[in-house]
Amino acid sequence: MPRIDLDGIVTHYQQVGEGPDVVLMHAFTSNLAVWMLTGIVEALSRDFRVTLYDLRGHGMSTVVSEGYTSDELAHDYRRLHEALGLGPAFLVGHSYGGVIAMRVAHDQPELVRGVVLSDTYFPGLSHVEPDVEHAGPWTELRQTFLKAGVDLGATVDFTKLFQTVAELPDDQMKPVREAMGAAGARWISQMDQLAGTMAGREFFMEAGFDESSICAVRQPVIALYDEHSPFDATARFLRERLANCTVETVPDAKHLAPVQNSRAFVRLVRQHLCRLAGIEAGSPA
Amino acid sequence: MSASKEQIHQDLQGILSNFQGRQYTAEIGLDTQFFGGLGLVSIDAVVLGETLENYYGTPIPFHEFLAELREEEVEDIEVGRLVEFLYHVLAADRYRHS
Repeated sequence: MPRIDLDGIVTHYQQVGEGPDVVLMHAFTSNLAVWMLTGIVEALSRDFRVTLYDLRGHGMSTVVSEGYTSDELAHDYRRLHEALGLGPAFLVGHSYGGVIAMRVAHDQPELVRGVVLSDTYFPGLSHVEPDVEHAGPWTELRQTFLKAGVDLGATVDFTKLFQTVAELPDDQMKPVREAMGAAGARWISQMDQLAGTMAGREFFMEAGFDESSICAVRQPVIALYDEHSPFDATARFLRERLANCTVETVPDAKHLAPVQNSRAFVRLVRQHLCRLAGIEAGSPA
Repeated sequence: MSASKEQIHQDLQGILSNFQGRQYTAEIGLDTQFFGGLGLVSIDAVVLGETLENYYGTPIPFHEFLAELREEEVEDIEVGRLVEFLYHVLAADRYRHS
């Protein structure tokens, strides 16, 4: 299992294929396996060198108590980029992974050829999504945990969620897992490792990546937003305000396109990356 | 190398009964599910692919196994399904080296 020590953060990564560099950045509370399970790694590695890694605190990378803002996670990426000797890369980020990708594109544009976002919510654009703290996904999660007799509260509180998952006895978690289905159960079952960290709070911090910084990104941005995305307003904002942004809709998905509609998601990512890299796309993924 | 399905099932029982720090004391049958039954998380599937390669000393195209499951829209992995997959991979490996 390849790991690399990035100034004390031992980072688990995988690398497959040859060609221009593509880096896959998973969402907050996810891990690199999400990419292995979607088939995107095989689809892209025919034409690209694909690198995927676990963010700090996630998957098999070191869990630390703090340092989960986009600023610190972008620093981690820069260290990884340098340590692995990557060239200017296309960054593909799901949800919070997209914030990190855009932050790197802004702070060190020489490292980034383009960005693909998947249903990304930006803390720096919270004014565009004023109801995010009470948005549908959290309300659904709250309803699910009520089955276990736990009220997570009306406002998004990942710190409480992590603590709850870590402390709830297995028999109380069982109805939650059953209600969430196999993919949802996998998602929550790995949250306990973030209990006791600052991740739940830092994730929602703007951390200096504000509206003007986001709008200053000049590389091509492909913004894939899900048909039932809770972040429609962000998609419209990016289309209107970024210098070079293409917005497309992934059908039949609600914030989790890589797993909810893998086929469409992979096809769109591959098609856009091949176009941006000047590669003949060949057979469809 | 090659192995019978029974042997592969026993190998998996040994590997999965104490995997990634999780101990599983109940019987691991062919219908036991990885995520729902054994409580594994998604990253464990990646580690399992590497563990099997080291155990059998041959490349295991685990991504092909996952791709098959995706095609069928299977949400969990049954141990028996992996036994079948490994049986064919290891038999093909023996054929190549015979």
